[in-house]
Amino acid sequence: MLVPLLGFLRGDTIGLVVLVHDHQSVAEVAGAVQEAATVRVAPRARARVYFKGEVLDPTATVAASGLSALDRIDVVQEEE
Amino acid sequence: MEELFESPGLVGYCGGTVALKREQWLDLARKLDWEYTYVDERDVFPELVSGRPWLPHQAWADWDEPYRTSYAEYVTGQHAKEASVRAVREAVGRPEDYQKLDRSWRSVLKLHGATLPLAEFAAVIGNLRAARFGRDSAWRTMATFGALDELRHTQIPLLVFHDLVAWDEQFDWTHRFFHTNDWVAIAGRHMVDELLTASNPIEFAIATNFVFETGFTNLQFIGLTAMARRVGDRMFENMLRSIQTDEARHSQIGPAVLRILIEHDRDYAQYLLDKWFWRSWRFFAVVTGFAMDYLTPVEHRAQSFKEFIDEWVLDQFDRMLTEFGLQRPWYWAEFLASTEIYHHQVYASAYTYRATTWFDFALPGPDERAWLAEKYPRTWPLIDPVWERITERWRKAGPGVEWYTHGATPVAFCNLCQLVLCAGTPEANSARTAVHGGRKLVFCSEPCAWIFEREPERYAAHKDVVARILAGEAPANLIELLQYFGLREEMWGKDVTGGRYPWLRPRPAAGEE
Repeated sequence: MLVPLLGFLRGDTIGLVVLVHDHQSVAEVAGAVQEAATVRVAPRARARVYFKGEVLDPTATVAASGLSALDRIDVVQEEE
Repeated sequence: MEELFESPGLVGYCGGTVALKREQWLDLARKLDWEYTYVDERDVFPELVSGRPWLPHQAWADWDEPYRTSYAEYVTGQHAKEASVRAVREAVGRPEDYQKLDRSWRSVLKLHGATLPLAEFAAVIGNLRAARFGRDSAWRTMATFGALDELRHTQIPLLVFHDLVAWDEQFDWTHRFFHTNDWVAIAGRHMVDELLTASNPIEFAIATNFVFETGFTNLQFIGLTAMARRVGDRMFENMLRSIQTDEARHSQIGPAVLRILIEHDRDYAQYLLDKWFWRSWRFFAVVTGFAMDYLTPVEHRAQSFKEFIDEWVLDQFDRMLTEFGLQRPWYWAEFLASTEIYHHQVYASAYTYRATTWFDFALPGPDERAWLAEKYPRTWPLIDPVWERITERWRKAGPGVEWYTHGATPVAFCNLCQLVLCAGTPEANSARTAVHGGRKLVFCSEPCAWIFEREPERYAAHKDVVARILAGEAPANLIELLQYFGLREEMWGKDVTGGRYPWLRPRPAAGEE
């Protein structure tokens, strides 16, 4: 199932609506948000995803992480 | 009346008619109230339309404003102003005159041209409501003049920019804008509908006349007029000056209403002020912030948007708050912080979604970025990396390849102001989420969330662009979405040079000179 999420990438200037599948991993969600913002912020290999103030397990799926339509997530790139 | 004729003010005879001094007859013309004998005052001025708190006329009887104009004086003055605008248009209002202007300055005209005239027409409606349901006759007289003013402010830009449509189709948005579903138009309508067409005369007076016009518009026109003069745009300069003199007059309705409202319901007055200062700020940050810090050529800028806000808005607004014994809005610290960053975020975001608008964008180059770094020492280091990234992509793509510096993913919108979700800083996201009636909402800021929560019934039914996409009412595909916005390809906003900046030449490869 497709899940639209409101993704904010730290360092970017705008919130984005990112469509992900509920079986995708949190790491893939981080990649999708970075890809959506790539015009303004260069993507990095690793990034953390925050939801309601907690860091999500990058290996967990969207569904298992409790994410549902129009939830807000914050993505923070890690130093390379 | 007989006393008037016998008074020392009698100035003589004009063609057999007794002439009175102005002050002897003026109030008979502008402030004439009477007691109703066959109908209740509450029926003449129902609270639903006239506004709250409902007070008997006695409470409004001292309503007064400083201009004290008669209809004859008003018409004479307006006629002279019209003649001046017409003369300047005939002299420097032809397409070839606009072709001489800097391309990015033309975007200032397109942005203001679109957001100004039909919003002014909505203000005609708001003023006419006050001209009927305002609680004192002098207020109603002034609102009648205000309605005539705003009609004029509708007509002038429509007339001036209509001549340019055949040359540049983007100017067609002067009339088209508010009739489209473009995201900026949705945000504009959301505000203008509430501010101008839906407000009762009391809220209209505080929101429009006091906050929007006295706090922002009146002074914004002064700032823009000075910029137009430096750029050499005499037509825009003259048009703005002409409009500003009207605004200065009819904005005086605001303080006159506020003074009485505070006497009877100070908390409500403070609430209206807090609400409308924030909503007005968001609107002006986009329209004026873009113009002052990005679209006006750097060599013609006299001050930054932040400096302008400090000098022309904050100082005056603070003085007015003190004068009325009101508090600064509760979000003052957040507001001050946002004056240094918010419009930068929206501009960078909009630049990378420029095809979704009807005007072109300038890419800040080394000189512009140095100027912005000097003007915004605290916040520019947070924004500059975004421009470095965009610049590098232009360099890689080469001139004319717009899509490589353009986003394709739908963006999120604030459920109150309907503007793109840019707020806080790139380091600290200020977005707020909430659930209302089972629906998830997101706001760009705490004040926007607060405004929604105070009157959810007023806002909850409105659908932002994302809600329309998810409901299948608007397409998710960007190209199709542009059609939904009312934009044909020739109208899409682009980079003003198509990436052909002299400083944007590819960097020489290693070993090359």
